[in-house]
Amino acid sequence: MSGGEHALESRLLKTGSERLALLGKHADVLMQAYTRDEVPLESLSDSALRKLLAARILWRPDEQSGVKLAPKVRELIAEMLADETRRHVNADVAETLELIRALVHSYREARSRGEHWRLEQQLMRLRQEVDDLNGRFADAIDSLWQRLNSDFGFVSQLNDKIRENDRAQKQIARLLDGLALIDFDELIELVGSDGGLRKLLISQLQQQLSHHYTGLREVQRRLIELMARFRKQQARSRLISGMVAFMREHPGFVPGNYARRSEVPGLVNQAAPLSAAAAPALDRNLDSRLLAELLHQLPQPRHTTQTVEAAAPAQAQESSLAAARQQALKQDVEHFYLSVIDQPQAEPVSALEYLHESPLEWPDEIWLFQVISEYQGLPRSDQKAFRLKQQESQASQFNHLRLIHDVELQLAV
Amino acid sequence: MIEHGPLLERLLAGEFVCPISDESGYRHLTNEETREEIDTYLRPLNRRLASNEDGSVYFLAWRQLNDNARDQLSRQLGDTLNSLLPLLEWLQLVQEALGRDTLAAPGDVLKPAEFSAKCEDNQSLRERLERLATDSFFGSQSDQLDAQVKQVFKRLKEHGYLLQPHSERQVFVVTGKIDYLVDLVRFIRDEENLPIESGSEEGSGAQEALL
Repeated sequence: MSGGEHALESRLLKTGSERLALLGKHADVLMQAYTRDEVPLESLSDSALRKLLAARILWRPDEQSGVKLAPKVRELIAEMLADETRRHVNADVAETLELIRALVHSYREARSRGEHWRLEQQLMRLRQEVDDLNGRFADAIDSLWQRLNSDFGFVSQLNDKIRENDRAQKQIARLLDGLALIDFDELIELVGSDGGLRKLLISQLQQQLSHHYTGLREVQRRLIELMARFRKQQARSRLISGMVAFMREHPGFVPGNYARRSEVPGLVNQAAPLSAAAAPALDRNLDSRLLAELLHQLPQPRHTTQTVEAAAPAQAQESSLAAARQQALKQDVEHFYLSVIDQPQAEPVSALEYLHESPLEWPDEIWLFQVISEYQGLPRSDQKAFRLKQQESQASQFNHLRLIHDVELQLAV
Repeated sequence: MIEHGPLLERLLAGEFVCPISDESGYRHLTNEETREEIDTYLRPLNRRLASNEDGSVYFLAWRQLNDNARDQLSRQLGDTLNSLLPLLEWLQLVQEALGRDTLAAPGDVLKPAEFSAKCEDNQSLRERLERLATDSFFGSQSDQLDAQVKQVFKRLKEHGYLLQPHSERQVFVVTGKIDYLVDLVRFIRDEENLPIESGSEEGSGAQEALL
């Protein structure tokens, strides 16, 4: 018996490896079949096609139709590529539960007969089935998250996204229905007192399934949220294109003045802007110090030099005019001094008399000023050569202000 | 209140505060206590904090609607209505030019260069952009495509619909004020009973019939 089992196992191993190898050997053709409807037969030899059909990697739905990829292989490729457009969710829990029940019965039979090898085989298959069940939920949840996180990026149109979201939500409903089929009371009864089975089918499975349940609920919540967002986006798009179309058709359209209603709608009540202005103030000591610091930190205004340059011609004109007049006055006064030097017997000469007799037109006051300042501007040695006599009087008896009426200049011989 | 100074200033200046335009300010405004504090502060200024229905943008509204406030609101409403069609057409143009199937939404990144390139390749988009840019709301004086696009983005930024995170980079982000605009359109449609379909059901047939 045991020898027969071993022979079976080694035959399985051999055939399995051979058939798996076919996948690798014909990977290109199989991928072409995945992306198209049918297998491109021209690149396959007759014997290769026969082998692929025998391994159920390919199948022919009927005599007339072409050769196609077997659904399981298509699913395997989709799973490996995380190709969300074609990934399937297999929520058939009932079938797995049937199988587990059968395996448990078979396991207990083997135990009561003391068939250790069969016992181990059954336990292994049970473990595989439980792993498989787990894997299916984990894969489904992974696939759902992938779709969710990409915002269903594998389809471009919003309508398609909405349909895909709908499909995903139905898958979740089926997965949750599947989970509800697993009745732990029944399983507890089924495994009885066997510790190994108890661990596998009760404690371990329960923990894993509750994890899946939480995961599914979370994905479901997020999918519903995303669906609401999709619907909202769709509604916005339609609203705007509808309004644009309406306003183009009715160029004179003017809605009511909502601001004049007794109850102004909240949306149009938008207060006028107000700027919170402030200026530097010096009425607080602490602030003035800070302001002074800020003032020092200010960069030297660079435009000052420019301003001076720009204003220079006008100023120069004015000052040069004044300087010219000043120079003329100075020259006239110098002539007056020369005429004093020329006086025979060094007679004193009145400055005002000289001015009035000459054709010069300086105001008296300015003339006197210049005569006096010329005297004071002379070097001390030259000053001694002249004698300046001021005719003055007191302005009033209440102060010592003295008014100069005239000056007389005389050579001091 | 001191920590809300900058936020208050923005609100008083007439800005719309959303998670895009002022993330931390918006976060503060989602706190009811803060909102009440700000409302109390605004009372003597005859203003109060307001938001759109979803609470995705905050702005200031008049507290008491006196004659001055009503005058101001009428003028503002008039301005908004004048700019409504160009703004909505721009939204449609962006959606079509960039090949999107949804309207620009808060947080979406828009690049004028990408937009120009798309319009350059397509005569119909180019003409629509030209018409839009020279509309008095956008007010472009140029006949160059790039300059027109630049002007359109500039105006949208000035009006707070777009934000330019780096002044030296030509990349813009759509703000929550777009939500306000869409809400306003919906409001007008409902108030005026306009025959505009926007049901969330499979209503593309009705949509086509309308167009």
